[in-house]
Amino acid sequence: MLVDADPQGSVGLSLTRQSRLLAGFYDFLADPGIPLDRLIVPTRLETFSLVASGQASDYESGSGGNGSHLARVRAFLRGAAARGFDLCIIDTAAGLFGVTGDIIASSDAVLIPQQAEPLGIRSVPKLLEGLNRLRVMNPRLSVLGVCLTMVQQDLAESREAAQALRELLPPEMVFQTQIPRDGLFVRASARGLPVGVLEEGAGAQIVFDSLRAEVEAKLEPHDSQRGY
Amino acid sequence: MDPINPWLDPVEVRRLAERLIRPARGPAIQDLPDAGFDDRFEGFAGITGITPALCTPPAAAPQTTPHPTPPPLPQPTESPVTALGPFLERILRFRSWMIREFDTRGLFILDRDGSVIFDDGAHGKIHVLARSLAQASRKPGGSAGNVHVKVGAEAILEVIPLDTPYGWMVLGAVVPNALSPAAIAIVIDALLQVASPPVA
Repeated sequence: MLVDADPQGSVGLSLTRQSRLLAGFYDFLADPGIPLDRLIVPTRLETFSLVASGQASDYESGSGGNGSHLARVRAFLRGAAARGFDLCIIDTAAGLFGVTGDIIASSDAVLIPQQAEPLGIRSVPKLLEGLNRLRVMNPRLSVLGVCLTMVQQDLAESREAAQALRELLPPEMVFQTQIPRDGLFVRASARGLPVGVLEEGAGAQIVFDSLRAEVEAKLEPHDSQRGY
Repeated sequence: MDPINPWLDPVEVRRLAERLIRPARGPAIQDLPDAGFDDRFEGFAGITGITPALCTPPAAAPQTTPHPTPPPLPQPTESPVTALGPFLERILRFRSWMIREFDTRGLFILDRDGSVIFDDGAHGKIHVLARSLAQASRKPGGSAGNVHVKVGAEAILEVIPLDTPYGWMVLGAVVPNALSPAAIAIVIDALLQVASPPVA
């Protein structure tokens, strides 16, 4: 199950026009009266469902002190597990505070997408400090690693930023797979489709399959019930 | 110029990263046992279209003359609730009972963290006050006691903290007159019934 916990609501916005009206994750946090079943959107794939960000997902909802949404986030994850979902992948807003912090404090593992550009890499120490603090709250949290995204091989600064990160961090903490910046993603999002199903999307499919295999290998030692 | 390394301490970054790779020690901070709901709670089954924090507008304050004495106490046999049915339904019945018996003009329930479990009106401004009073009334090594404070002309905020099977809660009730100890005991008994798991 993919859950959009980013108040921007890009998962819902990537679907149909009506989907932006879906109740979702933030509605669940705000209203204990909403049953989880009402939020789960099935897809054509039997093993893949979505939960959109929802109507209560204004930008303010993502802020607030850590812990204020912890009980509801954990109720959400328990509900997902009770319905038989093996994996709950939660796409959070950037940062480690507010709802995002509470999600990480409730999850089994975290994957960190990091744009391959100098400013992004310079912020990595703060990110690591924040994750270390959250790990005090949630010692079972496994840091799967950093995945470099929006890598531009034709731009020296982007290549150098990616290389610098690989040199800074232990090898096991940086995914081998890196996601290139490509017009294909823009075209896919404009059409509301996964890149892999586009006619010219075979290359992107290989990249994400490779990422999936890396994630799967890192997850194997862990329990079967997870939230990310 | 190197666009990355002058901004970073590579040794420190490495140390932080390696700490994250190592298995963490120590027990996880447990799920909040007193957040108002237990592990089985996911939502108010069977009730739709009601937001607990916003569920009903506050009842119009009845036109009453000041009471020289507290309102008459209900008989203990008049149990306002039973521990059956969804939680919200029971809270709404409890609220009606509080209005009927104590002329309550507003009612809210907070959890230990101050999060709103129920509020029948816009009482956000006095949530912090209620929680602070509840904390302040806590005796060293003991439980918190009820307190009240005047919050307006003919308006007393009664703050009743209590430990329930769903965790620690704070009841805030705006009443025209301070409740007597006997009335407080009855209210506590009623709220404990509200905040108890349904009987199969």
